[in-house]
Amino acid sequence: MFTYVLKRLLTLVPVFLAVSFVIFMILHLIPGNPVDNLLRVGSSPDMRAEIEAKYGLDRPLLVQYVIWLFHVLQGDLGTAIVARRPVATIIGGALPYSLQLGGAALLFSSTLGILLGIVAAWFRDRWPDQAIMGGVLLGSTLPSFWMGLLFILFFAVWLGWFPVSGVRGWQSLVLPVLTIGFGGTALVTRVTRVAMVDAGGRDFVLLLHAKGLSPLRIALGHVLRVALLPVVTILSLRIGWILGGAVTVEVVFARPGLGTTLIKALSQHDYPVVQACLLMLSVAVMLGTLIGDVLQALLDPRMRHGHR
Amino acid sequence: MFKGCKSALMASAIGVSFLMTLPSAMAKEAIFALPAPEVGVPAYNPITGVNTNSANGLIYDKLIERAVDQTYHGHLAESWEEAPDGMSWTFHLRKGVKFHNGDAFNAQTIKDWIPLYKGTESEYMVASIASVEVVDDYTVKFVMKTPDPNLLYNFSSSFLSVVDPKVFKELGADYGVTEAVGTGPYKLESFTVGQETVLTRNDDYTWGTDLSANRGPAKIDKLTFREIPEDSTAFLELKTGGVDMLLSVSTDYLPEIKAQADLGLISRPGTDLSYFVMNVTKEPFTDIRVREAAAKAINQAEILSSIYGGVGSTADTFLISSLPESKVKPEYKIAYDPEKAGKLLDEAGWVKGADGIRVKDGKPLAIALWTQSDSAFRRLTEVVQAELKAVGFDATITTFDSSMIRDEYKKDVHQAAVRSYEWDNADIIDWFFGGDRLGYPNISMFNDPKAEALRAKAMTGSKNSEERTANFLAYHEYVLSQFPFSPIYQPLDLSAYNKTKLVLPDEKAVPYFSSLILDLDTKE
Amino acid sequence: MIDRSLSVLKVALGSFKGRVAAAWLLVVIVAAVFAPLLTPYAYDLQTLSQAFQPPSASHWLGTDEFGRDLMTRLMYGARTSLSVSVVAIGLSVSLGLVFGAIAGYFGGRVDRAITVVVDLTWSFPEILLALILVAIIGPGVTGTLLAIGVAYLAQFTRLARGQIMSLRSETFVEAARSLGASDSFILAHHLIPNTLAPVLVTAMLATGDAIILEATLGFFGLGAQPPTPSWGGMMSSGTAQLFRAPGIILFPGLAVALTVIAINIFGDALVAAMDVRSRERKA
Repeated sequence: MFTYVLKRLLTLVPVFLAVSFVIFMILHLIPGNPVDNLLRVGSSPDMRAEIEAKYGLDRPLLVQYVIWLFHVLQGDLGTAIVARRPVATIIGGALPYSLQLGGAALLFSSTLGILLGIVAAWFRDRWPDQAIMGGVLLGSTLPSFWMGLLFILFFAVWLGWFPVSGVRGWQSLVLPVLTIGFGGTALVTRVTRVAMVDAGGRDFVLLLHAKGLSPLRIALGHVLRVALLPVVTILSLRIGWILGGAVTVEVVFARPGLGTTLIKALSQHDYPVVQACLLMLSVAVMLGTLIGDVLQALLDPRMRHGHR
Repeated sequence: MFKGCKSALMASAIGVSFLMTLPSAMAKEAIFALPAPEVGVPAYNPITGVNTNSANGLIYDKLIERAVDQTYHGHLAESWEEAPDGMSWTFHLRKGVKFHNGDAFNAQTIKDWIPLYKGTESEYMVASIASVEVVDDYTVKFVMKTPDPNLLYNFSSSFLSVVDPKVFKELGADYGVTEAVGTGPYKLESFTVGQETVLTRNDDYTWGTDLSANRGPAKIDKLTFREIPEDSTAFLELKTGGVDMLLSVSTDYLPEIKAQADLGLISRPGTDLSYFVMNVTKEPFTDIRVREAAAKAINQAEILSSIYGGVGSTADTFLISSLPESKVKPEYKIAYDPEKAGKLLDEAGWVKGADGIRVKDGKPLAIALWTQSDSAFRRLTEVVQAELKAVGFDATITTFDSSMIRDEYKKDVHQAAVRSYEWDNADIIDWFFGGDRLGYPNISMFNDPKAEALRAKAMTGSKNSEERTANFLAYHEYVLSQFPFSPIYQPLDLSAYNKTKLVLPDEKAVPYFSSLILDLDTKE
Repeated sequence: MIDRSLSVLKVALGSFKGRVAAAWLLVVIVAAVFAPLLTPYAYDLQTLSQAFQPPSASHWLGTDEFGRDLMTRLMYGARTSLSVSVVAIGLSVSLGLVFGAIAGYFGGRVDRAITVVVDLTWSFPEILLALILVAIIGPGVTGTLLAIGVAYLAQFTRLARGQIMSLRSETFVEAARSLGASDSFILAHHLIPNTLAPVLVTAMLATGDAIILEATLGFFGLGAQPPTPSWGGMMSSGTAQLFRAPGIILFPGLAVALTVIAINIFGDALVAAMDVRSRERKA
């Protein structure tokens, strides 16, 4: 197992290098220059040169990339050009909020989704199944900003149960989690339902039925374990959603987070922040894929030595 | 019965203990939402910053405060005299003022502070000062390079907020990010850019101005300033009690605010002005007749009544109407006149086609109309677009992020734009139409020798304020006569607050926020 | 081929749900295509004195903040939303087929390189990808179209690659190869046609997601520029009028939801009709 993980980690190194290079180069394609944002027109060319030198923007791109990568590998993400503070501080400030929201939403949607999926599979093709799948479909077809606004109007303005926006205490987490969770539940429910139905038809299950075990025990004790495999895989591949996918909801609820930080930095052409955010997301995604593979290998021994 | 009695006893006991510990236990707090344009200010640094927010005025004091009626009131400077020839100013400073860290404020502070502006964006504000002389501990003399009738205005600007020069030099580029030291009624407790700023009361503060009944310290212990980019979210926060005051509120929400009994409205004269600007170096606006036609196509009165619900006023010059330099001769004022616009375009050879769009030499009268992506701008621009279409312009709207649009202007590919500024001095004409700032801020690319001569005279050739006003009037009138822009709208400065939470002083004219804060209290 | 498609369509329309969904989609498409013939109003004609009218006989859904007929805006908005989503997905389907076919057919290093990039981008939220791309390309219809197209590229590359790989070793491909057919001939005549059916169904469902994505970009003010209506853009300007005219934000939202639901139901019916194995989709 250890060598398997190590091998997978090693294959990630060239991927990391390629990704970091792409991220670095793409940003320099964006029109606009952060230095312009710092200078008022009429400032002398010397001031521009000074700022460019300060952020290393006067060197050739490739040199800039190598220097940047070298610093990043040492844990130095640089200083934000527009926000004027260490990038690590900015990301460190935003990350907890993303993890809170993403984590809570993931927990909510996976718990609810697995439960609904089991129920739907149990009542396969009967009305509870259809009701659940219909409700879940509805949740995934409403634009999240629209649903967020409706939730704000209903729960915050009309009922007054939760705050409208911001990050003050757990109460302010409820509506954003509901908004994301309502949409996210669909995926987990569908995958769980399909996996349960699939697993329910396998030989070992038929054998258990023949042995006279109660259908409920078979479903929860045996089928669920097999069915969880694809669910876990899907979830670990979706780690990018946890960290950055909530950007719409973050905007609607005026929450800070990695997604909003990235979008804001992008509009201000604050390269160091954008690069760091994207790199972080990519690394998280790569690790998520790795974790998914490892979990899959652990849960399903057949996978361990084969190819993907 | 017994049970009820007991709980009543308990309640009164709690009440008594509450009363006894009142000063410390009942810390008064208030939460404000910053206006959308003030969201994202990176640091509380008035010296190198390009923009400041409302909390800045509570951390720092200025030498002079300007009231809503544009009169000057002494603050850290109690009085001042100008030499008859305008070549020096003597300021008498207030005694007993301390910075938040305990440093004394005196004449030496001013001598160390002024040079900090060298090389910054705000350098022009102190550029007329040749040197600062310490006469005694509390008297300071500014020796001038040229007379500067605008000096008092500059000293009342938030960019000339008095910063502790010692701390500023120690912290360098980090100043204002984690630490900011002023003499104001509140101290910076914590600051997360784009999210919130927490201020705590400066208990030693006793040097408020005559603009507030209370001279200090302030009544509320802790203030939180939240940065909420969306107007609608901010309004819902006010409505549900999540914030106690919106420092700026869109006219869209006025009916709601008036309908809700627990919400109050504060209205002050505004210092914003929105306008439509044309690039005079790009076809078709190289022709002054086309510029005049476009300028006269905009229906200020209709915009005021339909978009802004009749709140505020129409604009007919480049300056807000409270400035004396806005009182140009009537023939220079720009107003809606679609017939004249049509005639001018006919004259210029642009004839109306079948679809209502004008054509000349087979080319349609098409322009790109730029604006910022904020919803208020998009809405105004949509109306301007439709009004231009009514006289035969085919304008295509392009929106840019507000932080990105300045870069785009510098490329000089734009034809026209809808914009607004917030400033209350005539030198804004120099800022936006000066030939040395082409691209941005001079989006019109207006650069004409006659205008430049008038501009130089207005900016540096005035010995006193009467002369300055006359010079700026002449410059302003000339710029208006060339139609590089069309004025649109002057909003009121509106803020809304929760009446069940905040108590405002009983005054007719509510002062600016930094003075208001000393009299502001919370309800128990 | 056509016969088979027709019979599939017939089965899909056999269920009540499928018929209702197809009917709604037809209504939306007709409204979008024939908008100028169906409404007496121009989508951009402002009558400021008529702003915020409640629904009436002359304005079925009322008017917006500029006095424009909301129903008209909604119909023209369908035009923008549908055409952007369909073209964007068309773009990612065709590019995805090419990349996926190359990766799946040739395997080896090419496959690994493509797979790495695709897996990575597939794991990024589409909305984030699209926002980044719009920042690079610039806002407006073209910007959103390309951004959405690229955001869904990974999904279709993955799908096509998987399909091709499973088909590659089928007998008829082996037979063609032994007969001396070239790689490009086999790809174009045997492999890609056989992957089309599942890809098209997925594309239809992805169009639903793309409509939501387009609306979201419009909500951020990055979609079609005013006065061209788009459902997202209408909702964006509606937030300021939440109390005065809730319809401005409500109706486009409902239009998005109903259309996407209809696409999903109809897509599911098609899947069932084609007897394709239950697919896996993300929210």
